[in-house]
Amino acid sequence: MRASLRRVLIAIAILLAIAPVLTQDAFYQRIAALVVLAAISASAWNVIGGYAGQVSFGHSVYFGIGGYAALLAFTKLGLPPIAGAPLGILASFVLSAIVGLPSFRLRGHYFSMATIAIAALAGLLVTNWGYAGGAIGLMGPATPRSPADLLFRSPLPYYAIFLVVLAILLVLTWWMERSRMGFYLRAIGSGERAAASLGVPIRRYKLYALFISGAFTALAGSLYAVMIGFIDPDSGFGILVSVNMVVMAALGGAGTLFGPLVGAIILVPLEETTNALLGGGGTGAAYVAYGVIIMLIARFSPGGLAQFLPRIAARKSPRAA
Amino acid sequence: MLLEARGIVKTFGSFHAVDGADLTLAENELIGLIGPNGAGKSTFFNCLAGEARPTLGKIRFRGADVTALSSAAHAGLGLARTFQVPIVFEGMSVRENVMVGAFLRHPARRRAEEKADEVLEFTGLAAQADMLATALGTAGRKRLGIARALATEPILLLLDEALAGLTSAEMEGAIALVERIHARGITLVVVEHIMEVIHRLTRRVLVFNQGRVIAEGTPAEVTHIPAVIEAYLGRRAQGSPESRAP
Amino acid sequence: MILLQLAADGLLLGAVYALFSSGLTLIWGMMNVINFAHGDFVMLAMYVAFFAFTLLKIGPIFFVPLAAMALFGLGVLVYVALVRHVMRGPMLAQILSTFGLALFLRYAALWAFSANFVSLPDNLVGGVYQLGGIRLSASHLLAGGTALVLTLGMHLVLTRTDLGSRMLAVSEDRVAASLVGIRAERMQALAWGLGAAATGVAGGLIVLFFYVSPEVGNAFTLLAFVTVCLGGFGSVPGALIAGLLIGVIESFSAYWLGPATKDVVVFALFVVLLWVRPQGLLGRA
Ligand SMILES: Nc1ncnc2c1ncn2[C@@H]1O[C@H](COP(=O)(O)OP(=O)(O)OP(=O)(O)O)[C@@H](O)[C@H]1O
Ligand SMILES: [Mg+2]
Repeated sequence: MRASLRRVLIAIAILLAIAPVLTQDAFYQRIAALVVLAAISASAWNVIGGYAGQVSFGHSVYFGIGGYAALLAFTKLGLPPIAGAPLGILASFVLSAIVGLPSFRLRGHYFSMATIAIAALAGLLVTNWGYAGGAIGLMGPATPRSPADLLFRSPLPYYAIFLVVLAILLVLTWWMERSRMGFYLRAIGSGERAAASLGVPIRRYKLYALFISGAFTALAGSLYAVMIGFIDPDSGFGILVSVNMVVMAALGGAGTLFGPLVGAIILVPLEETTNALLGGGGTGAAYVAYGVIIMLIARFSPGGLAQFLPRIAARKSPRAA
Repeated sequence: MLLEARGIVKTFGSFHAVDGADLTLAENELIGLIGPNGAGKSTFFNCLAGEARPTLGKIRFRGADVTALSSAAHAGLGLARTFQVPIVFEGMSVRENVMVGAFLRHPARRRAEEKADEVLEFTGLAAQADMLATALGTAGRKRLGIARALATEPILLLLDEALAGLTSAEMEGAIALVERIHARGITLVVVEHIMEVIHRLTRRVLVFNQGRVIAEGTPAEVTHIPAVIEAYLGRRAQGSPESRAP
Repeated sequence: MILLQLAADGLLLGAVYALFSSGLTLIWGMMNVINFAHGDFVMLAMYVAFFAFTLLKIGPIFFVPLAAMALFGLGVLVYVALVRHVMRGPMLAQILSTFGLALFLRYAALWAFSANFVSLPDNLVGGVYQLGGIRLSASHLLAGGTALVLTLGMHLVLTRTDLGSRMLAVSEDRVAASLVGIRAERMQALAWGLGAAATGVAGGLIVLFFYVSPEVGNAFTLLAFVTVCLGGFGSVPGALIAGLLIGVIESFSAYWLGPATKDVVVFALFVVLLWVRPQGLLGRA
């Protein structure tokens, strides 16, 4: 059941190998890049929301911070947008410490309610923050001033960059899953009382998880802003940004290494094609479907698609009674 | 003294669940804690294990004041406990459940796994090591709770009704396990309802009623103390004036 | 005088908040499940009322009960088809289920009704009353008054009737209640029905003076959260007092900070409340 490092590397290699096959059509290239980007933020959500079982509906805050950091670095400091990424990650640490710590006293539904409110609050504040473009948002560079602006006509370079980040995150998660931290997070997720009685420092480990989760989500936000060249309160801090992470991780399997990636591979092409086919109304249609998918997962298969794997594996291996 | 709890009070609103309880334990003792339903035994355990902060009172463990320490810190100091209603970590195998406890003293995965396997062997769960923990029945879950706690290598182990709800065959196994744990030099406090178990396991027993220790002695002694008989009978005659009297 | 005016406006709106929040608190109290779609229920009720008026040409006397009945049905349906199956399952499933429902309702509404804001004619319940210098519009008075009466009524039903005591028994100990012959499932379905009906009435009242769009639900969900949190999870009288208070706070912050930022105060209040006193200010420790 436990994925080996080799499997991580194979998955990445396969994703890499797909790229040249897609070189023909920019539409598919773009979707491929967006799949990997979505997989980064969903995998990042998975660390706290899946492994540690703290269901956050407010991860858009980290995404938004990363996106805004990138484009603020460009508009205010004249730096290449990607230079804002470290600042976004730094800000994500500060936010995790200030906002995460007090929220960790809350369990289950209470925690999720708090995250929704915090995200709504952040969205409102950014919308009213004139310095950062208010409701209009921020634009990236229109033409590349230097290669560091990472402005490419083809989506393929983005695909490659995103893939490197995803690989780093998955290897980190793989390593975490097998180490004490992974065990502690899963224990926290399924029973805090029992975990604490075994010496698990609950708040400390939740904070570690949130640091990793928030930092990579912020990085995903920065990468998004770099590629799209635009961020506004909705695309950075909107509830749908969080929804995307939750639904992809939950569909593939929350708390599993590859679940979020599988979810992204299924859902992003679906969303992009409906958008392309239905035009403006597409977003609504995709989210109607996401709502249904989330309800179906909750009702029939809380472990997501991954839930079906161990069942098959279990049938193969004989068990002592 | 290994553990010294003085004047422990725990209130929920105006209700005194524990109302001035004392307990002293010497190294390697095995004592019983009995009392009618709702006497406050589990709440008292929660206070001792750091899960609930006592409203009043002081707890010293190996000479240090641990009253305000967290549950996790207690485990670190060598005080482990099981829960009356077992909580297993879903989605993890039996071995992985035990490894969570083992990681406390063995941060490296390999060592934690070895420790877990040793404990599984000791508790008789080795055959179920690769099963999902949720596939265990009541007896298995209670045993897993004990195994997990043992994996933290405790000095003192608090068992909250570890034998309740077991068949008589399972009970024999569990009694033998408790005796083996004791033989390893671990101090034990066992909460039990079944007097026969208490008779067989312990030589000192505390009787809890309405949040206080109302009697103490050998199992044979306490069963003859009038206050104890009344505490148990008074429950049955609920509503009569004397059962309400403090 | 402006302070009195703001307080009066806030109290009338707050009574409506109290009404739909008491639905959320009732559901929570019965089975410790949060309805993340609660505000979207209100949104749906507003559309029911809106279309009842525009298509069927019926007034508030009919469309408010109609919205209540429609939402009652929806609440029972949601319980039977969804919540019943997840409420004792993993926490992830409990939380995701109604969150998914919220998404579904919101975007199905967007699809069906478009993102445009619509509202009922201003003069549907027209007229303004002067009361010692305070101006009270008839629509606000009707909404606030009805909501106040119904919230109190819900409290009375829960505390004074046989039905209420049976529901209370289920909320305190489901198993014990079943042993004395109370059908717990039915009581919980009823709690969802009544909780949703409360949003039905509230939506039917709000639409008298507030625009509808598919996205209004989000703010109502958060308003219900903060009200329930302030009043103590599970307490209807707590929700009543808290709802009135939130209405007033909102009304004052809208005046001082502007309508765009008024929610900042309420949301921030909610987060801080959760951090310092998750059992609620008025709740029991
Ligand atoms: N968190 C709590 N809030 C309010 N009351 C509580 C809480 N925990 C326990 N109580 C009450 O405190 C009293 C003592 O409970 P406790 O579980 O400690 O008893 P016990 O002796 O372990 O009983 P049993 O033999 O049934 O396990 C009971 O009346 C119980 O209802
Ligand atoms: Mg007990």
